[in-house]
Amino acid sequence: MTAPTGTPSAALVSANPRRRRSTAVAGDGRRGAFAGLAFVLPGFAVYALVMLYPAVQTFLLSLRDWKITPGAESPWVGLDNYVKAFGDPKFLDSLVNAVVYTAVTVPLQIAIGLFLAVLLDSKLPGRVAFRVLFYLPVVTSWVVVSLLFQFMFSSGDGPANFIAVDVLHLADENIGWFRERWTSFIAICALGVWKGIGWAMLIFLAALTAVPKELHEAAALDGAGVLNRFRFVSVPAIRGALSVVFILLLIGGFNVFISVLLMTGGAHDTQVPLTYMYDQAFKFLEFGYGSAVSFSLTAIVLAVAALQYWWTRRRMAD
Amino acid sequence: MKTIKHLASVAALGVAAVALAGCTGGAAAGSSAIGEPGATDISGTVTFWHAFGSDSSEVKTLDEILIPRFEEEFPDVDVKAVPVPYDELHQKLITAVAGDQLPDLVRADIIWVPQLADLGVLEPLSASMPDFDDIADAVFPGPLATNLWQGEYYGLPLGTNTRVTMYNDAVFAAAGVDVPATFEELAEIAPALKAAGAYAFADNGASGWNVLPWIWSAGGDIVNDDVTKASGYLNSAESVAGIQTLVDLYTDGHLPPIILGDAGGMSTSDGLAQGAYATIYDGPWMYPIFAGQYPDFVLNDAPVIAGDGGSISVVGGEDIVLTRSSENKAAAAEFLRFLLSEEAQLEMAKVGQMPVRTDLRDGLTAINPYYAQFVDQLANARPRPATPAWPQIDALIQDEIRAAIRGDKTVQEALDAAAEQADALLAQYN
Amino acid sequence: MDTVGSRRRRALSYAVRYALLGISAVLLSYPFLYMVSTSFKTRSLVLGDPMQLIPEEPTLDNYIRVLATENFGRYFLNSAIVAVVSTVLIVLLASMMAYGFTRLQFPGRRILFALVVIGLTIPTMMLIIPQFLLARDLGLLNSLHGLVPFYVGTALGFNTFLLSGFFQGIPKELDEAMIIDGAGPWRRYWSLALPLSKPALGTCVIFAFLGTWDEFAWALTVLNDVDQRTLPIAIALFHGQHSTSWGLVFAASLLAIVPVLIVYIVFQRFFVAGLASGAIKS
Repeated sequence: MTAPTGTPSAALVSANPRRRRSTAVAGDGRRGAFAGLAFVLPGFAVYALVMLYPAVQTFLLSLRDWKITPGAESPWVGLDNYVKAFGDPKFLDSLVNAVVYTAVTVPLQIAIGLFLAVLLDSKLPGRVAFRVLFYLPVVTSWVVVSLLFQFMFSSGDGPANFIAVDVLHLADENIGWFRERWTSFIAICALGVWKGIGWAMLIFLAALTAVPKELHEAAALDGAGVLNRFRFVSVPAIRGALSVVFILLLIGGFNVFISVLLMTGGAHDTQVPLTYMYDQAFKFLEFGYGSAVSFSLTAIVLAVAALQYWWTRRRMAD
Repeated sequence: MKTIKHLASVAALGVAAVALAGCTGGAAAGSSAIGEPGATDISGTVTFWHAFGSDSSEVKTLDEILIPRFEEEFPDVDVKAVPVPYDELHQKLITAVAGDQLPDLVRADIIWVPQLADLGVLEPLSASMPDFDDIADAVFPGPLATNLWQGEYYGLPLGTNTRVTMYNDAVFAAAGVDVPATFEELAEIAPALKAAGAYAFADNGASGWNVLPWIWSAGGDIVNDDVTKASGYLNSAESVAGIQTLVDLYTDGHLPPIILGDAGGMSTSDGLAQGAYATIYDGPWMYPIFAGQYPDFVLNDAPVIAGDGGSISVVGGEDIVLTRSSENKAAAAEFLRFLLSEEAQLEMAKVGQMPVRTDLRDGLTAINPYYAQFVDQLANARPRPATPAWPQIDALIQDEIRAAIRGDKTVQEALDAAAEQADALLAQYN
Repeated sequence: MDTVGSRRRRALSYAVRYALLGISAVLLSYPFLYMVSTSFKTRSLVLGDPMQLIPEEPTLDNYIRVLATENFGRYFLNSAIVAVVSTVLIVLLASMMAYGFTRLQFPGRRILFALVVIGLTIPTMMLIIPQFLLARDLGLLNSLHGLVPFYVGTALGFNTFLLSGFFQGIPKELDEAMIIDGAGPWRRYWSLALPLSKPALGTCVIFAFLGTWDEFAWALTVLNDVDQRTLPIAIALFHGQHSTSWGLVFAASLLAIVPVLIVYIVFQRFFVAGLASGAIKS
């Protein structure tokens, strides 16, 4: 993501050809390495202690039939829990649900979030008010919004049925949204998208405003219209943000938990991997199995994220 | 005796095993023993977890009346009441078990007690409490039985409740029929109620709390007395008949789909008050709720609908348990006794917590007239089977019965499948 | 050239923008408005008609009851302290890590970064018991300061990843210019990377504050002492076992949202185009 030619920073580059390197800015040998570690290690230490160490423990726990009472014998079962998970129709169903949820909510959050960010990335009077309004869903608690969405997707004369039946004529009579698996997911996805738009918008807004004004001005001077400016100035600049948002939303989609728990509790086959894990671990006290379920999910998410990362890097290199 | 697992060959695994399974001390070593009632030299802090919400009359009674009165009598004891939101209390208990951080006393839902007892974290009061038999004799046997696990009682009942029939008088008047007392009457009047625009009966789930009144009233059961077997009980002819009543109501359109789960559907309370549902089953807390939310609606109640087995409902409520890891058992036990005293039980009765003491039964209607029906129903109401496997059995009963209601299987097939799975789960504990 | 046509086109583009923004704003803020409306109603065990946003008999009763609830102010303060301290630490450590990962060379850089990214995929829910045991062993249970390491540690992955993406967009030539001037890495971090990333840092502050302010599950698990507890727990306690007075819950939730909105409004000022260009000129 280097600046295009014709800008002040490009002039700097040409003035110092020796310094042009493609790797990170070099430190000088050992001192540079020391600086690097000094920057990274404090944060990484806390992170490793609080996240990585418990994660390793959870993984080890998944290799046992773990009993929660301190001092209890937890027999070693090896990969049995994982074999069980991948043969468990309920777990596989929950994976399907997570994939569907992700496939629906991620593009919508990105598209709408980006759209709103673009609309707000200008000296529009009142934009602060709009930015606040769009952020409200993000700050409202899940408990409250799940309740409201259940209400809106009521099986009687609620707003969703009003739109579906009276406005769009998708159905002849009121739909029992939470009585079936996929209609429940329409409501759950609606909730997910609604709550996430403001979040995605925020990140895109930050990325868009990091684009120096000169680039837009230069492009406008060259005769580029709004759409072309967006395509050739804004989009390349936010490609990094796009990638970040995409990966984070992808991970978040597969890890969806609280909204499903609160909206349906997993009824009508709407379980997702994490609600399934929660039931197994905390209701049925099958912690070994629950941990295996989580780790299986994590492995799948990692694979998908790695694939996506590799694929966008290839595209960026072209 | 449970022992720390022998360190495995792989060092990393060994470290983890020790970290996870190792005792950090204090686990089973509760220091003080439970003394005789009324010992005056007790002191220290007693931590008590409960699930009363803030701004509720129950928590006000606890914090402003009961605890001060107890501390007056025992000035050296400091009772710390810790409110935990009900939906998260079980999870917090489980995590506390894993980390050996349980409090002294917990007001636990009755269905958690066998699981906690099986984990070995509860004090067996029937063995360690000198006056246990006296207290046990003074409380209702049904609620008391919820504390029984493998021959010992691991807690005492604190509050009890049950479900009774609640009905909308206006709907019955409009339909021109009487409130049904038996399964047959219910089936007979259902069409008339439908014509008047109401479902004959509504419930929001098919788990034990919902369907047990139907099974028991039909003369059926879930498990045998020892809680070792479900086959022959859960899928007996009587149990099938009880569930069949529900299925028939649903297929004929007299039972709304919320029984299959419908987060967007009309709740039983809203439906009753608005005349969409003619009858529901619910507990004593509904009286203050209806009074607050639908002040113009007159709530009436009746016994649960009777079958060949009579009119038998399901017991709910809370038990109070003392943890083995408590370091102040003497004081904790004393507070426990206090909560079961006539004075404390009466105070809680005033704010909707039905007492478990038999000697208070007759005076209850003077406190809250609506208690009358519940007191009667409690006379023969039964608790859910006391087994640590109950949460799983409950879940699969709901799944199977819902499948039967949807018509995916016959009731017999559903209950056969449920019984088979339940047997496997019960076998783990026998 | 400002012809009549271009002025009209500009007015049209404004109109279209406002229309789109307006519709989106209504859709996105509607549930929130409904919350506000219900918080002023008394009989709220049942949620009323969604179309009726203006309550018939508006009352401040719910707010009064919430504010009068014992310890509510205490919980507010507790949450504020934890959130502020955690946010400062998160932004500082995450930006340092992001700078180190994107601008400096050191052995193990790729592995450590990969571990950070891998950590993003781990749902924290399943770590709760090992984390609880860890907190117990470190003596961090039942205390506000004990929350901070956990909040910081679990937020670092996300924020580092976010900031790395932004730091990578800063032209390396600017760094090199400063190196020529003899600036060491700390000075480059402090005087170049941070100022240029104000929008990204602003985003981090907003997310970090929101995340720690709203965090519920972990706080509930480790905090027992009533006076150590945080706001989300207090709000959850307004739910009864058999019924919930939604007006009360909404009123409490709205009071809790105020600090988050303030942080947002303050820090979204950083999202001003042209901030980056000023730095390049100088």
